[in-house]
Amino acid sequence: MESGLSSLLSISIDFGTSHLFFPMIIHWVLALLFLAVLVTKTIPFLAAVKRGERTLPIIGESMDGFRFFGTLALMVAYFYLMAFVGNIFPYTGYGFLFVSMVFVLLMALMYMHEWTKKAVTTAVITAIVAPSVAWFVLAKLFKITLP
Amino acid sequence: MLVSKKALAVLGSAALMASMTVGSGIAFAQDGPLRGNIRVVIGSTSTGGDTYQNSSIVADALSEKLNLNMKVDAVGASSAFRTLDRDSRGNTLMIFHDQSYLGHLYGVEGYDDIFEKYTIGPTVAINPGNAYLVPKDSPYQTLDDIIAAVGAGETVRVAIQPGGVSEIGFSALKNAISIEHPGQEDNLVAVNTGSQSDKNQQLFDDQADVINGTVQANEQYTRLPEDDQKAMRFVWLTARQDTIEQAPEEGLGQTTRQQLLAYVEPNVNVTMGGDESFTFDKEFFFLYNKDMDPAIVEQIDEALAEIYAEGEIQETQKNAFFIPNFKPSDEASEYLQDKMTRYEGIIENIK
Amino acid sequence: MEFLSLLDLTFFLLAALGALVGIVFGAIPGMTATMAVAVCLPLTYALGLNHGLALLLGLYVGGISGGMVPAILINIPGTPSSITTTFDGYPMAQKGEGEKALRVSVIASVVGGLISAAVLFFFAPMLADFSIKFSYVEKFLIILLALSVIASLSSNMLVGIFSGVIGIWLSLVGVYSTSDGGNGKTRLMFDFMEPYLFEGFSLLPVLIGIFGISTILLEAEKGVKNELSGERVKLGKGGSGFSMSIFKGRLTNLVRSSFIGTFVGMLPGVGGSAASVLAYTQEKNLSKDSSEMGKGAPQGLIASESANNALTGGALIPLLSLGIPGDSTTAVLIGAFTLQGIQVGPLFIPENVDTWYVMMTALIFANIVMFFLMFYAIKHIAKVVMVPKHLLFPIIVMMCVVGAYAINYGIMFDVWTLLIFGVLGYVIQKVGLEVAPLIIGFILGSQAEVYFVKSLESAGTFSIFFTKSPIAVVLWILIIASVVFSILMGLKRRKVSREEASQ
Repeated sequence: MESGLSSLLSISIDFGTSHLFFPMIIHWVLALLFLAVLVTKTIPFLAAVKRGERTLPIIGESMDGFRFFGTLALMVAYFYLMAFVGNIFPYTGYGFLFVSMVFVLLMALMYMHEWTKKAVTTAVITAIVAPSVAWFVLAKLFKITLP
Repeated sequence: MLVSKKALAVLGSAALMASMTVGSGIAFAQDGPLRGNIRVVIGSTSTGGDTYQNSSIVADALSEKLNLNMKVDAVGASSAFRTLDRDSRGNTLMIFHDQSYLGHLYGVEGYDDIFEKYTIGPTVAINPGNAYLVPKDSPYQTLDDIIAAVGAGETVRVAIQPGGVSEIGFSALKNAISIEHPGQEDNLVAVNTGSQSDKNQQLFDDQADVINGTVQANEQYTRLPEDDQKAMRFVWLTARQDTIEQAPEEGLGQTTRQQLLAYVEPNVNVTMGGDESFTFDKEFFFLYNKDMDPAIVEQIDEALAEIYAEGEIQETQKNAFFIPNFKPSDEASEYLQDKMTRYEGIIENIK
Repeated sequence: MEFLSLLDLTFFLLAALGALVGIVFGAIPGMTATMAVAVCLPLTYALGLNHGLALLLGLYVGGISGGMVPAILINIPGTPSSITTTFDGYPMAQKGEGEKALRVSVIASVVGGLISAAVLFFFAPMLADFSIKFSYVEKFLIILLALSVIASLSSNMLVGIFSGVIGIWLSLVGVYSTSDGGNGKTRLMFDFMEPYLFEGFSLLPVLIGIFGISTILLEAEKGVKNELSGERVKLGKGGSGFSMSIFKGRLTNLVRSSFIGTFVGMLPGVGGSAASVLAYTQEKNLSKDSSEMGKGAPQGLIASESANNALTGGALIPLLSLGIPGDSTTAVLIGAFTLQGIQVGPLFIPENVDTWYVMMTALIFANIVMFFLMFYAIKHIAKVVMVPKHLLFPIIVMMCVVGAYAINYGIMFDVWTLLIFGVLGYVIQKVGLEVAPLIIGFILGSQAEVYFVKSLESAGTFSIFFTKSPIAVVLWILIIASVVFSILMGLKRRKVSREEASQ
């Protein structure tokens, strides 16, 4: 009996494929949990949606589409251009500095509900000062590599 | 919209002006082919390790000599190779050690043949510390004892980090056993583990009989009393005899150069067949993008030659227990390629 | 007391400067204590050993505690170990109690820091000998114990555990690194991703993406309204609602969490974030009333911050008595010693008694400076939330970018990770999965793998987890207690909500 148990527990892991051992266990656990969640949560939820009691997440909700997708688009452009401009001036941090200025300004203007003169001026000043300070302290003073 | 377009335009141009002033600050005053800011990426992610330390010694000296900004970034092997691949302008340089080709020999993912894919730059230093240790109360007094024991069918477990510098000594040992005691080499078993602390732990847990370590990290353990569970003993330093001979006479910690010499060839002999015996020095060298301007290769070679001629860098390196070892690019490339071929033979042999 | 002659005004000024710069680094999302120490390392060569150590230890202490600021005020953990601080800190800030939360955290931090320094001073060599009794098996069980917090942390246990396992899965993407003893092969991805994902997703960009960027996306979706509610007005009026009486009855929690922090910091390779998670779990399990935890309870802050600062002393134990760093910051400190030609190892303390006393002085002094700097600056720091969102958000994104890019010394993919996990965090919250368990799974997942697989590789049987040592048995008892307790809690909660519903 005891030997049966110990042979049940014994395991030998081949080093060459050991990178797949733990992920395999996690896959099984994940699949079982997913089934459980599906049965106990998702199906009742979808039924409620069908009855009109609940709405689907994201698609069924109201959202400020301009600001939401604007944020996503700005970030993609920001990350992409930062690396692109940074590559023109290698390892100076200028890519970060200049593109951040534009990004901070555009994002601030996008989130601003009322474009008053005062608000826009503060936004512009922030857009120039904040990246410059960050750039100067980190890239110049501490010599941290920036894009 | 409550703001006039004019106000925006004024502010916008002010921003542009401000940025122009900053922009003009770039130092373009250098005369050589290397320009602007230079980033030296290294194959290690640790800023406390030997690669970083050695690279910053060299980068500091170069940056002073060439009057350039140079910054060492510990991005790790895979990222370092990739960053180097992308920049052929010479703004990105790489410093790494023998792992760069050993990783390829051991077939580790992410390592290509560096001799094919990159230009090999000058070597700058050796870390002579690669060592093998046993517990202080181990029955094995010398490496010969271990070879004989494995040859007699005893299983000996060696804790290493797989796929590179830490494994090469193990492979050589296995190869030597297969030459001296054919068929018995499989009794030498690798215990694959990670950092130095993991390797030490394997020894404390009695999961390994021998561990790979370094003189720097393990020297103090060799001076602990025998009844301490943590006490260890050197059995083998893989460095060449004349490498250790260049170390400072006082050695490291309380272990003198004379004592260290007891653990290198010819006192410890790991045969490679014939009368050749195995040695391994962990050497640090530059790697360049293949398409980089050859004038830059020359410029760095010349600058380093001058720096080494001045002799100050050697003192700094020796203080940090590195052995200065400058070879200009051409010589280095040929030398390292030859080195790789010899190790390739060993790894092939024990497959 | 020969070492006293080594201390001068510059020494104390450098320690104070270090603490200040460290706090700033820690407070920037993505900038960590490790980075602060790494960028200042070259300076120490010119400063000499004692002055250099003063600066670095100041940076270390400041950097670890600075992480609480963004965690509480803007729900972004400034360092991975302040993750549990967000659980209670941010809800408090939302209720207008940001200043109170910061004060509680600062006090907890300094107590944690000082307790761990005391432990370091009196017991370092002894504890180092104890720490080497923890092999792969025991380390795996510690991680498992920390993971068990997922069960009690989630509002729905099934969904919480599911989220946690997703987190573990995400942490496994990339290479099974040879530096952990793996075989250097990649998994859970396609070949074309290898140039970017070879090393997997890095922890910090994931954290600030999932907390910071996703918060901004959620706000953007709502149109970024600048609601000037009562909270800000209250903040302006000095009365923060803080008094020392918050700590009444919390002393056990404070001391226990400090010891947990010290202890976890001491185990090489277990990592800092496990410390605060473990302390948080234990408080949740052992305290008489933990029902408010996760909704803005000071006790959660006390547990998290005292443990997280206690790491400093803990992580120095193996460094100074085994020559092995307890966490990534102390790994950089090794560089400072080697730069000065000093070896760390089991004989460090007996052979460098003066340096040892100098370090202790710097450590304690840095903790005290950190306390005064933070405690009196809080009023001003807390005003961050008064900055209008249309200015605050772009700056947060910018700083997140700097942090993500710089954390691995300049990798562009880490910046994209921000966005990937920002969007993922948004989707997760929308479909009803739970963020906190997911992130804990992510933080601990890769360590769990290494220790689990390595234990089995060397023992060849699953039974090793039960028979390895008495320590393993104790850990199992703790794990079982933790799980049973969270199930009981869950049942009680369900009962209460049912009663409320029927009323």
